[in-house]
Amino acid sequence: MTSASTSRAATVEFEHVTKVYGSGASKQGTPGAVNDLSLTVPAGKICVLVGPSGCGKTTSLKMVNRLIEPTSGRILIDGVDAATRNVTDLRRGIGYVIQQTGLFPHQTIGENVETVPRLLGWSKARRHERAEELLALVGLDPASYAGRYPAQLSGGERQRVGVARALAADPPIMLMDEPFGAVDPIVRERLQNEFLRLQEQLAKTILFVTHDIDEAIKMGDLVAVFRTGGIVEQFGPPSEILAAPASPFVARFVGADRGLKRLSLTRVNDLELAPAVTARVGDDAADARRRTLADPFAYLLLLDADGRPLGWVGQGRIPGDGVLEADLVETTSPLLDRRTTLKDTLSMLLDRDVQAGVVVDRHGVYRGLVNVDQIAAYMRDTARPFDAVDGPVTAVDLAAVSGEG
Amino acid sequence: MPEFLRRYGGQLADGLVDHVVLTAIAIGVGFTLSLILTLLIVRWRRLGGPIIAGAGILYTIPSLALFAVLVPITGLSLLSAEIGLISYTLLILVRNTLQGLDGISPDIIEAADGLGHTRTQRLLRVELPLAMPLIIAGLRIATVTTIGLVMVTAVIGEGGLGQVLLRGFNLRNWGIVYAALIVMIVLAIVADGGLGFAGRLLTPWARRGSR
Repeated sequence: MTSASTSRAATVEFEHVTKVYGSGASKQGTPGAVNDLSLTVPAGKICVLVGPSGCGKTTSLKMVNRLIEPTSGRILIDGVDAATRNVTDLRRGIGYVIQQTGLFPHQTIGENVETVPRLLGWSKARRHERAEELLALVGLDPASYAGRYPAQLSGGERQRVGVARALAADPPIMLMDEPFGAVDPIVRERLQNEFLRLQEQLAKTILFVTHDIDEAIKMGDLVAVFRTGGIVEQFGPPSEILAAPASPFVARFVGADRGLKRLSLTRVNDLELAPAVTARVGDDAADARRRTLADPFAYLLLLDADGRPLGWVGQGRIPGDGVLEADLVETTSPLLDRRTTLKDTLSMLLDRDVQAGVVVDRHGVYRGLVNVDQIAAYMRDTARPFDAVDGPVTAVDLAAVSGEG
Repeated sequence: MPEFLRRYGGQLADGLVDHVVLTAIAIGVGFTLSLILTLLIVRWRRLGGPIIAGAGILYTIPSLALFAVLVPITGLSLLSAEIGLISYTLLILVRNTLQGLDGISPDIIEAADGLGHTRTQRLLRVELPLAMPLIIAGLRIATVTTIGLVMVTAVIGEGGLGQVLLRGFNLRNWGIVYAALIVMIVLAIVADGGLGFAGRLLTPWARRGSR
């Protein structure tokens, strides 16, 4: 493991943080204002600040590294008030990634990545070594990229360099302001996935700003949904925000398709698996037939000698005597592992004869079944939808919750 | 032609050296002053209007008049010549440097701050390098203008090639007049090209794409 993974993360706490722009009567609802924000981001977690344009999410982010100073309230980093620290020292200890990356166009990629180590006075050799390590970490070959200028890179490559630069001095905290906002959807998805994989090793405390609720749900361990005026409407894990929106605003903001979004967040792991009638190749056919007939589900799941599923045998095709043979199998079901999302599961099940997915462990051994009814029941039981206030989403509402911030 | 060069080559060479020295002092001091003025403006924006206006007024005074006005105060001296020459560089240099600094994308400034540059580090490592193309452009214009203006300082006894030209004019020696003029033009072209080349060396990033 690289040294990138060795630093500790830090907790970030907002304590009644307020930012007011202007003065007097006009200050209510000024774009970027923040109103009495209190939330705690635990060490090593990604907390996404999401909301419509001007809702104060970016202001909140920038108050952590004091690019913006709060009007009142405190921000504690590992219990220490950020306002009491030397501002440049504070910033050098916090990774910062912004939209369009803010790479310095007059510096090579290598020099850009070395920015903070250079400010910290590291030796040239150590800086170079670190830059190479980081470029490799974000998937850019140092030999071919270190000497290039930002203008010679694609948008996606620049974003990776932006992340590498922010990680250079191994800060415990990263602030990311729409870091993947400036690239096309396919590249964005890839960068998101890569970043999540990276975070599994790094375990930094990350504050991540986006206006895209799908990105928030995907990236966040915790999501804070902001409303204009800098008010946090709901703060919690994405599954909770989708399942039980705290207000009509949140319900509208997460969208009418939040049920489908929940499906992509929930994994087979979360369900209690249903049992199937199973038998192994070579088992007594008469016994298997009797058990299958006794079950409301009209199929037998045939397993090989090691317990790996071969496929389904309709009750009518099970012989009255002898042993079970592999060629009895009529149809198969998609194989799922515990990490498969319910969205993928459902999509695989909908066009099958037998609408049940077979869950296997990592050796391919049968564990249980997931069927459409179970998914529906789980979604129903865990949801607290805002039906009464949901109503039809009007064009005005959509305008209010879309756009950049 | 060889005969001409034998007779006047020495004069022309001396004139050229003087010309280069006068220009170099004017540009060196003018650039330093303009940088200080620009940084004052960047720090205290309210100074911007008065400083630019002041440099603008200096720029509009006809050169002959300016030198004439200076002589009673600082005499027929190098100082008088340089005060005039430097004055003319300020408007161009301040305006270009300021434009260069103001043209930097706010994202880049914010990134520089967010990564923990002090104000001075940001200026030296990020802002001035990024303003370099416009600073160089300003220096090129100011240099070529100054090389022309140095000719005028011949009226107060300086002038480098301007004195050579003036002498030739008084003697109705048109050969030396044209020779002085040609040497000056060549000097201007070489200085402009040299600065352009130096600028390209200083800003390798600017050639490879937009910022």
